[in-house]
Amino acid sequence: MARIIGQRLTEPRHSIFPFSMNLKTREAIAAYLFLSPFLIFFAIFFVRATISSVGMSFYDWRLLRPTTPYVGLDNYIDLFSDPIWWSSVIHTIYFAVVTVLGTTIVGLLAAVAVTRPIHGQGFFRVLLYIPQLMSVGAMGLVWNWLLSTQFGVINYLLSFIGIRPINWLGDPNLVIPALSLATIWWTFGFPMLIFIAGLQGIPEHLYEAARIDGANGRQIFFRITLPLLRPTILFVTVTGIISHFQVFGQPYIITGGGGPGRSSWTVVIYLYQQAWVAYRMGFGAAVAVAIAAIMAVITAFQFLVISRRVEY
Amino acid sequence: MNFKQYSPYRNWGTYAVLAVLSAIVLFPLIITVSQSFMTNQEVNRWPPKILPTAPTVESYNTVLTQQDVRLDLWLRNSLLAAGGYTLAVLVICTPAAYAFARLRFPGNRLLFAILLVTIMIPGQVTLIPNFLLMRDLKWLDTFNALIFPGAANVFGVFLLRQFFMQIPQELEEAAVLDGAGYFGRFRHVILPLSTNAITALAIFVFLGHYNDLFWPIIVTSSLETRTLPVGLSIIQSSYAGQYRPMILAGVVLSTLPILIVYAIFQRRIIQGVTLTGMGGR
Repeated sequence: MARIIGQRLTEPRHSIFPFSMNLKTREAIAAYLFLSPFLIFFAIFFVRATISSVGMSFYDWRLLRPTTPYVGLDNYIDLFSDPIWWSSVIHTIYFAVVTVLGTTIVGLLAAVAVTRPIHGQGFFRVLLYIPQLMSVGAMGLVWNWLLSTQFGVINYLLSFIGIRPINWLGDPNLVIPALSLATIWWTFGFPMLIFIAGLQGIPEHLYEAARIDGANGRQIFFRITLPLLRPTILFVTVTGIISHFQVFGQPYIITGGGGPGRSSWTVVIYLYQQAWVAYRMGFGAAVAVAIAAIMAVITAFQFLVISRRVEY
Repeated sequence: MNFKQYSPYRNWGTYAVLAVLSAIVLFPLIITVSQSFMTNQEVNRWPPKILPTAPTVESYNTVLTQQDVRLDLWLRNSLLAAGGYTLAVLVICTPAAYAFARLRFPGNRLLFAILLVTIMIPGQVTLIPNFLLMRDLKWLDTFNALIFPGAANVFGVFLLRQFFMQIPQELEEAAVLDGAGYFGRFRHVILPLSTNAITALAIFVFLGHYNDLFWPIIVTSSLETRTLPVGLSIIQSSYAGQYRPMILAGVVLSTLPILIVYAIFQRRIIQGVTLTGMGGR
């Protein structure tokens, strides 16, 4: 503060602005100056792009063709009558639900374990968060190898309990669970940390009161911890569904772009294929709008379901 | 009751759970490191070997000398692009967050509400128009394309605004009495008091960009401008067949920098996740 005082006393006050300008106007001008870099970038790369995306979705716009004829709703009609799109939607929802269930349960389990009065709390938190730091590239290469049918360590471990080698990445019915498994390993650290914060926010006296009333550990968990964690669970599942619905890197790398066949095509892989492999930009824009619409519906639905329950 | 709660015997279940979880987390990493020191023949064998009989750094030599594998270059690109992006986000978002948190201007609430709604719109919607814009600006295959399109980070504005609002108003009033203008208050009062929040945001913006795959795939095309995740995906598609230890060596080399950063800043990162609610994918 001393530095500011010294500096400012020698300078004339409000030298930039004419004296007649009142404080309110000056504050507003200053505010818009502070905002202007953000607003410029936001306008160009978000507002313009979003509007343009919706606009483009009504044109047959292909990257390598000079003409872009207006086709009305044709792109959407094509999209909604494409069975590959719908199977991609199903794969994506399947993947997102399994992954969010897995990360939420494992994250909560880990959070409860590391908030108990034990030695090495901090050590375990740091350790269990490590996978989350890997890039999808690195994690993808690791799991592509671990899940290998012939030489994979996962199949090796399973062989000890008498399970014959499983073709994880080659079986259309197993590929999504396999990608989910890898993703749960990779991302449960985030819900874990959020749950730790949630658990620390529960007042200790509630536990003490329950113990005095003779409640056991399981009762305390299901009657006190879980209900009080509901806002945290809402946050973790909503953000989880939103981020896992946009899954791209895992199928792109682990199953070589959505294989076997199209068994692990997700909606973003579908978008990538249409816009950057087939160069159908107008159709791709319609895909992007459809993805946004689905995500809006899912989010609204989650908020409705979870907020409707009775408050204690 | 209480002594029971804190005795080590009482917590054996917790330790068991943590031991299992730690083993699950570490096992894939140990296999990766261990098999990266094996030869091709040793890796392609059933049952798989957990430890190399004669550890060799052959795969590391191969991955570092291969013509079309440029880990050093890709790492440099990733660091430069993520660093440039982080800087751009901070320069653009911090002043905007200050305006939203502390200044009265017509449209403050409306503008902020609009931003709140846009956070619900997924990034895919902007991909195609922004890609075409990059092409028209001749920015494809340059760092500009990796740095600027996402620089107006709405989430960053939210987070910093929230934090700036908690700083006592009196501190700024004292600066006003000393004759500080709006920029002086922002620069000398708000920024020095917010280093924690700004660092947390910077770490997550950096990590998020460092790990991004989709946008770098579509806007970069030459070997020299690729980022690490894109490079790794290329290694996978061209070498997965025969050169597995080399791929694993690539994973080790590309993950090591992040783990070193994590080892240094682990407390800050862990706190930052909780503070920002960021880090999910």
